[in-house]
Amino acid sequence: MIIVKDLHKKFEDNHVLRGVNYHVHQGEKIVIVGPSGSGKSTFLRCLNLLERPTSGEIWFDGQLITGPKVNIDKIREHMGMVFQNFNLFNNLSIMDNITLAPVKLKLMSKEEASENALSLLARVGLKEKADAYPSQLSGGQKQRIAIVRSLAMNPRVMLFDEPTSALDPEMVGEVLDVMKGLADSGMTMVVVTHEMGFAREVGTKVLFMDEGIIMEENTPSEFFSNPQCQRLQDFLSKVL
Amino acid sequence: MQAWLEKVAKMFDMAFVSGERWKLYIKGLGVTLEIALFAAILGLAIGTVVALMKLSTNKKGGKSIWARVANVYIDIIRGTPSVLQLLIMWFIILKSCKNGVLVAVLSFGINSGAYVAEIVRAGILAVDKGQTEAGRSLGLSKVQTMIYIVLPQAIKNVLPPIGNEFIVLLKETAIVGYVSLTDLTRAANQISSRTYEAFMPLIGAAVIYFVIIKILTILLEKLERRLRKSDNR
Repeated sequence: MIIVKDLHKKFEDNHVLRGVNYHVHQGEKIVIVGPSGSGKSTFLRCLNLLERPTSGEIWFDGQLITGPKVNIDKIREHMGMVFQNFNLFNNLSIMDNITLAPVKLKLMSKEEASENALSLLARVGLKEKADAYPSQLSGGQKQRIAIVRSLAMNPRVMLFDEPTSALDPEMVGEVLDVMKGLADSGMTMVVVTHEMGFAREVGTKVLFMDEGIIMEENTPSEFFSNPQCQRLQDFLSKVL
Repeated sequence: MQAWLEKVAKMFDMAFVSGERWKLYIKGLGVTLEIALFAAILGLAIGTVVALMKLSTNKKGGKSIWARVANVYIDIIRGTPSVLQLLIMWFIILKSCKNGVLVAVLSFGINSGAYVAEIVRAGILAVDKGQTEAGRSLGLSKVQTMIYIVLPQAIKNVLPPIGNEFIVLLKETAIVGYVSLTDLTRAANQISSRTYEAFMPLIGAAVIYFVIIKILTILLEKLERRLRKSDNR
C-alpha cells in the first residue's frame, strides 16, 4: 500500500533520514520505535508529505506521490494523521472539528457528516462532547477526538505521531484503547510510539529506527525476545 | 472673578456660537471621520492581502516573488513621512483628481495597509503551526486552511494592535489640511485665525478627538472581550 524507496531528508546540514526503504501492506499495523532524534517522526511526516523528502520515492496505492504534478491534498484525504499535540482546531466546536474537512471537500453533505461524526463520537464514548470546544477537554479526550476527526475522512491508512507522549499517564490508556479498537477493525496503521506494550500487543511488525535508517524489523515477539543488533539490545534494556 | 467668567463666556461664544461656527467643527469632524473610516477599511483590506503575500513561499520554500513585492511596498511606505505621501498623491500621482477626500482616503489607506500588513502577519504567525498541519493533513488546501482555521484564530491576536492602528490613523488625518481639505483640525485652525483667539477652538477640537477615540477604545474593548469569551467556552 505504501512503498518507500531510498528516502533521504536533510534539514540544512542535518541529515535526518539516510536511506529508508520499506513496504507497508494493507491491514498491517507497523509500530516504529527508537531513540529521540532517530528520524522516526520525520519518516512518518514524510509519508503524507508534511515534510518534503530531499530525495527518494514514496508510492501510495500505486501512485508516485513524491513526483511532480501530484495533487497532495487529494492523497492526504486518504491518509489520516494523529499528532502528539492533538492539534484540534481551537476556533471550532468538536462537531465542526470533525465535519469541517468532509464538508468543505464536498465528500459529504452537512447532515451526513454530522450523523457520521456522532456515530464515531459514540464509538469513542464522547458523544456528549459534540458541542464542546477543545479548551474544555482533557488531553485524552482531545486525542480521542483527533482520532475521530481523521476517521471521519474514511482514510485508507492512519499515521500516528507519538499520540500518547503529551498525555498525563492516567490518560494514556483511554487513547491506546481507541487505537486498539481501530486496529481490530482492520485499519492499516503506522504508529510512532514509546509504548512498548502497545507495540507488542497490537503491532504486526515492529521497526527500530536509529541514525536515520531502519536498523531492525521483526514480528513483535521476535523483536522483543530476540533482538539482533547491539543498538536495539541497548535500547530495549533501557526502556523495558 | 465675574470679569474672568465673562471673558471666558465671550471666548466661548466667539469660538463656537456666533456665526453658527459650531457647524464648522461638525462639518470638519465629518470629513475627518469619513476619511478615517474608509482609509481604515482600505488599509485592512490591503494589509491582509499584503500579509498573505509576504507569507507566501515559492516551490523551494524560499521567498516568493509576491513576498518580495510586499516587502518593497512596506519599505517604501514605512520609510517616508505620511505627509509627503499625501502631497505626492495629491500633486503628482492623482493630479487630475479633484476629489480631495478620495485622494486622502487612498493615501491614508495605502499608508495604513503597510502597518496593518505587519500586524496581520504577526497574528498569523502566532497561530500554532500544528493547526495548519492538522488542516493540511486532512486534505484541506492551503487557502482553505487559512480561511477556516488560521485567520479566525489570528483575528483574536491582532485585535489590540489593529485598534491601536485605527486610533493612530484617525489622528493622522489631521494633516489633510495640507491638501486644502477642511477636517476638524483645519476647521479649528481657521476659526482661531478668524477670531484671533486660539485657546477655545484648539482645545475644543482636541476634546472632540479625545471623546471620539475614547468611544472607539470602549467599542474595541467590548469586541475583544466578546471574542475572548468564545475562546474559553
